[in-house]
Amino acid sequence: MGTTATAYLTGFGRYLPGEPVDNDGIAARLGGEDRVTERIRRRVLDANGIRQRHYALDEHGEPTELNEELAVKALHAALDDRGVAASDLRMLACATTMGDVLVPGFASMVHGRLGGGPMQVLSASGVCASSLAALDAAVSKIRLGDHPRAAVVGSELASRSLRQRRFDGIRSGMDSHFLRWMLSDGAGAVVVEFQPHPSKPSLRVDWIRQVSLAHEHEVCMRAGMAGSAPAVGGTWQDVAIAEAEAQGMFQLRQDVSMLDDLARAGIAQFEELVDIGLIDVRHLDHVVCHYSTNAFRDVAFEALRRRIPTLDTDRWFSNLETRGNTGSASIFIALEEAWHSGRFAPGETVLLAVPESGRFSFAFAHLTVVAPPDQQGVST
Amino acid sequence: MTTTTTDRVSSTPANTASLADRLAEVWIELEERLGQVPVLSRLAQGTVTLDDYQRLLFNLRQQVVDGSPWISRAASNFDIDHFELRAAAIRHAEEEHRDYLMIERDYVAVGGSLEDLRRGRKNVGSEALSGYMFHYADHPNPVGLLGAMFIIEGLGAKRAAGWASRFQEVLGLADSQVRFMTYHQEADSAHTGDLEAILTSGLIDDAAADEIVRCAQVVARLYALQLEELDR
Repeated sequence: MGTTATAYLTGFGRYLPGEPVDNDGIAARLGGEDRVTERIRRRVLDANGIRQRHYALDEHGEPTELNEELAVKALHAALDDRGVAASDLRMLACATTMGDVLVPGFASMVHGRLGGGPMQVLSASGVCASSLAALDAAVSKIRLGDHPRAAVVGSELASRSLRQRRFDGIRSGMDSHFLRWMLSDGAGAVVVEFQPHPSKPSLRVDWIRQVSLAHEHEVCMRAGMAGSAPAVGGTWQDVAIAEAEAQGMFQLRQDVSMLDDLARAGIAQFEELVDIGLIDVRHLDHVVCHYSTNAFRDVAFEALRRRIPTLDTDRWFSNLETRGNTGSASIFIALEEAWHSGRFAPGETVLLAVPESGRFSFAFAHLTVVAPPDQQGVST
Repeated sequence: MTTTTTDRVSSTPANTASLADRLAEVWIELEERLGQVPVLSRLAQGTVTLDDYQRLLFNLRQQVVDGSPWISRAASNFDIDHFELRAAAIRHAEEEHRDYLMIERDYVAVGGSLEDLRRGRKNVGSEALSGYMFHYADHPNPVGLLGAMFIIEGLGAKRAAGWASRFQEVLGLADSQVRFMTYHQEADSAHTGDLEAILTSGLIDDAAADEIVRCAQVVARLYALQLEELDR
């Protein structure tokens, strides 16, 4: 068997557009000020627990930036954190639910805006777990020794789909309102290298696992089709745009009745990782978990505590309440904040967990904090 | 100092030992000297850095690009009475003349810039080594170069793979980042097999044997110098 290199996360960055928007400021951006919508919004916000978020929209609800700009700003923050330039990258892996344009791929657009030199690009599409799919691809290439340095970014500009103009004249149920008052914009990025950071701690990537259970689950989160299953001739690409809009195909929807199933499936995936020994519960120090709403925080936390009795809230990290649910960007935005808060110490392990409702995907990454090489030399 | 130098130069080696034994002696001396080379002792101690590996590749590349040209030049200077050696040299030159590309890929794979690498110049040891090889290859029937091959191919066959796995161990490198050094274990083992066949074929008379040993001594010293003088 061949020898591979090791992949380390050496730089962390995020970009959240504009000022934080509290719950009272949402309607100014997204609209929906009628009494019925107002009541639904309050109810959804009470359940998801999000207190503030960011939108790339001005106070009139007009876009201020492109998704690719959010991605590039997060990448610059991560590159600056590491002290390298875009020209030092050999690969760029980008995750997003929806880029700004249909063609070309999101990563091509991000690379074009970022600059630097020639590099491999990958656009991982999907929803929340596409973040770790992109990370996995970059980490794999680093391990193979094909590239010395890569960057990974998760970026979302969901707010464009959440504005009132997407809801005018369309009968919207809980399936679209649930997401409308939950999703927001932002980007998070990491730098991946085959050597640890020369003078600061790094996160060694021990493994990444992503699994889809679409073979046994219907679609849960969707856009671009009228029902929950695509029909020949019936997707947004087949019918007139006005008709597609009238049918609500451009609204992001989530079948909320499936979310309990999603939580159960995610917990089963975690259990399996414990059972096959990939997660050693005696040596798991931190959990950074993405979840869409606080309703799932307690479910996930309690499920993990069944296997890790010593898990307490100090070792559990989420910034959902203050940064919002930014889809594929969320896990990187959370990791960045946790990392720079100084809560991780060398030798400790970190589990990233990202369930994706889309059609039941789950991604996990196991990381270990390593001291910079000079300090390792001293301690051993 | 001048008297001792004169003594050394005038002393012709005793020819009683076999060619193989005499070359083995040169090899042992080279091994001792390599143990003193800073980058190799850091490698042995496990204190070598990624920068060391990059510098080593950078410095080797500037000389390795000349490897095939000097062998080709030597090939063109073997007359028809040395047909076997000419044939071997032509074959060997062909096999080696893309080797530097492997160093370039390794260098880029560990984060180096191809432009910088290609703009690089030989260090003083590489200048001396390359200059000597081209100079020697210009001689009619440069049989002594078998001694140079004995050293250079020997390093590839006996040492390079060990260096590669030690670099991998210390720096956590993937196989695809140490291709040049690992490749040479296989390629140069084949070459040293060919070389031994020639050395024991009866083609080598006493005068040629002296040439071979002398050339091996010079190349051993200059190769070590190249490793000692990184970036200078």
